[in-house]
Amino acid sequence: MPTQAIPMTLTQTLIMGVIQILAVLIVIFIIVPLTTFAERKVIGYIQVRLGATRLAGGHVGITGPMNRIMWGMGKVPMLSILRGLPIFIADALKLITKEDIIPAKADRGVFTLAPIISVMAAFGVFACVAYYPGVMFYMPKSWPVIGGLPFQGFITDVNVGLLFILGLASVGVYGIVLGAWASNSKYPLLGSLRSAAQIVSYEVPLTLSLLVPVLLSGSLSFKDMSVALSTGKDLNPLAIIPLFIGFFVYLTCGFAETNRVPFDLAEAETELVAGFHTEYSGMKFGFFYLAEYANMIVVSSLATAFFLGGHYLLPFGLQRFIPATMPIIGGPSFFFFFAKILCILFVFLWVRATLPRYRYDQLMDVGWKYLIPLTLVNLFLAAIIRFAF
Amino acid sequence: MFKNEEMEINLGPQHPSTHGVLRVKLRLDGETVTHCTPVIGYLHRGVEKICENKTYFQGQVWTDRMDYVASISNNLGWAEGVEKLFGIEVPRRAKYIRTMLTEQNRLASHLLWLATHALDIGAMTVFLYAFREREYLLDLFEAFCGARLTTTAFRIGGLREDLPPGFIKKAQAFQDLFLDCVDEYETLLTENRIWKKRTIGVAKLNAEDCIALGVTGPVLRAAGVPYDIRKAFPNAAYAEMDFEIPTRTEADTYARYLVRLAEMRQSHRIIQQCIDGLPEGPVMAKIPKILKSEVNEVYHPIEAPKGELGYYFVGEKGGLNPYRMHVRAPSFVNLQALPKMIEGRLLADVIAAIGTLDVVLGEIDR
Repeated sequence: MPTQAIPMTLTQTLIMGVIQILAVLIVIFIIVPLTTFAERKVIGYIQVRLGATRLAGGHVGITGPMNRIMWGMGKVPMLSILRGLPIFIADALKLITKEDIIPAKADRGVFTLAPIISVMAAFGVFACVAYYPGVMFYMPKSWPVIGGLPFQGFITDVNVGLLFILGLASVGVYGIVLGAWASNSKYPLLGSLRSAAQIVSYEVPLTLSLLVPVLLSGSLSFKDMSVALSTGKDLNPLAIIPLFIGFFVYLTCGFAETNRVPFDLAEAETELVAGFHTEYSGMKFGFFYLAEYANMIVVSSLATAFFLGGHYLLPFGLQRFIPATMPIIGGPSFFFFFAKILCILFVFLWVRATLPRYRYDQLMDVGWKYLIPLTLVNLFLAAIIRFAF
Repeated sequence: MFKNEEMEINLGPQHPSTHGVLRVKLRLDGETVTHCTPVIGYLHRGVEKICENKTYFQGQVWTDRMDYVASISNNLGWAEGVEKLFGIEVPRRAKYIRTMLTEQNRLASHLLWLATHALDIGAMTVFLYAFREREYLLDLFEAFCGARLTTTAFRIGGLREDLPPGFIKKAQAFQDLFLDCVDEYETLLTENRIWKKRTIGVAKLNAEDCIALGVTGPVLRAAGVPYDIRKAFPNAAYAEMDFEIPTRTEADTYARYLVRLAEMRQSHRIIQQCIDGLPEGPVMAKIPKILKSEVNEVYHPIEAPKGELGYYFVGEKGGLNPYRMHVRAPSFVNLQALPKMIEGRLLADVIAAIGTLDVVLGEIDR
């Protein structure tokens, strides 16, 4: 989808940039708390319990009378699935108002810096993520200064966007390592060592598995890659094989990168108390928490864009079998992208409720002995398909 | 320039997976455990000494507080030990009810073990599945004696009261449900690759070491020794029951997991036999209001969920209280196998080992 370049003045560029950044930030700040709520609920239902039920949907409050009537009729209230929804507001309030303890023996500067690094790395990545490969809408003509300017589905389209994303994502581990080291405590130290080893090891197969889309699309720009792989116009029909393998390897590494079960060794609750953030409380802990969930969204976005067909309906470049003239399913839509992200986020939660945790050495085994050889073979396969056929 | 130093770390007494107040002093080389010392005593109340100052009737209350997840087993040991000391014969119906409740308690205890052990290794859903069934069992205990955890279920000479109306029906409903539930736990764990990786070959303790350290219960049976008090020295109504002793030979965490699951199925079988063959008759023997002992000593072992639970009583002439009372607590003895199991292994295996030993600190510290 070509974007027609509209000449903009510096002021217009800056203002539009700020608006787009704010839009993305607001969306993230909505999705992250909703993900935590979904986590409570999804895991709750998997474990045959209700999850968070307090706040809204109880016998008091705004919906209270309605719920009382429904309970009285012997029915579960309509809002019962959403009961506990406002808990994310309560969560945020709790984190903000909690006492922010810095241990006496901690390195104060680094201790404060670490969560900032983590959260900056996680959020900075969103600069290059394209939610829609073009202009989403135009600003109303009547608005001053920015009237008639395009609102694009991405903040910026760097031509080495993927490199930027990978580079910034690996900065996140510094937050974990520095925070743990600055805590000057034993459990965080163990957690951070695990985390460092884990992220360094899994960065390799993660990057190698992302090289498959790079190779097949011939670009490093997030938007171009996403469009090329989703529409599948120039792709070899056999390209589905390396993409399919790459997707699963990428998702596995994504779990490791975000420190989620079954690779949550860095914060293995039953072994290391709380891992690297044992000494953190209040909003400093909240930043680590935010970064983890933001990273989950980044991983989901990348998987969606490069493997699952991005803003088009069908994954793995199968979209080419649907003529672009068909209504709704033929064209790109922001909602396809969003729905796929939600599906992957659900997989994150589903896996957390199902699988036990790997041990440190086994984690390394999986990374170095299985995933890296597999991705190398997969990359080779992709290269053959790209150039030989 | 670089110093190579071992790190000493305290696992507990406040730690999510030390199941109470166990403190394990670990010396770590990286993540490898080079030295391990369990430190106990944070929950010491002096139960044995207290029981020496209580009458035989009063003492049973304190046994609830030892292994608080299997209090009915502890009650059984106390009641039968005292009955042995005084030569009291318990009516057959009481024996059957005792057997049934003890086995249900074994299920509750094993379910708690499964729940926490799986949670320690990271499988959090099993925890809630197991607690769902345990809740049903606790409701049964509540129906029987009014308490869910500290039951004081039995009286010396039998039972205080017969089963409440509807108890058998509820117990049967649980029986019909339970085997499917065990299958459900197995679908989540038994063939799970990560579960197998985390448990196979972990925390091994072979039969010789088990016997040398006095380890009993599922840990011993998973090493291939079919030693179970219920068969070796039958008490209660176990002599009339038809059941098997599940054993494995691998002697690792996975084998213990399989043995305990098989034991749950066997307990289910025993409960079914108790329900089907429950005899009619009184539930209380005729015993004097005040028990005064002769000079006598008795050691009475029973098979608690954790292993051999033995009560040792010494009576004195005309004494209302035991002159000396000692408990051979299975968790206490089993815990000394911990260093042997984990030295030279990784930190994550410590958690698996503590879980697989199934220790309860109330019983260790007494």
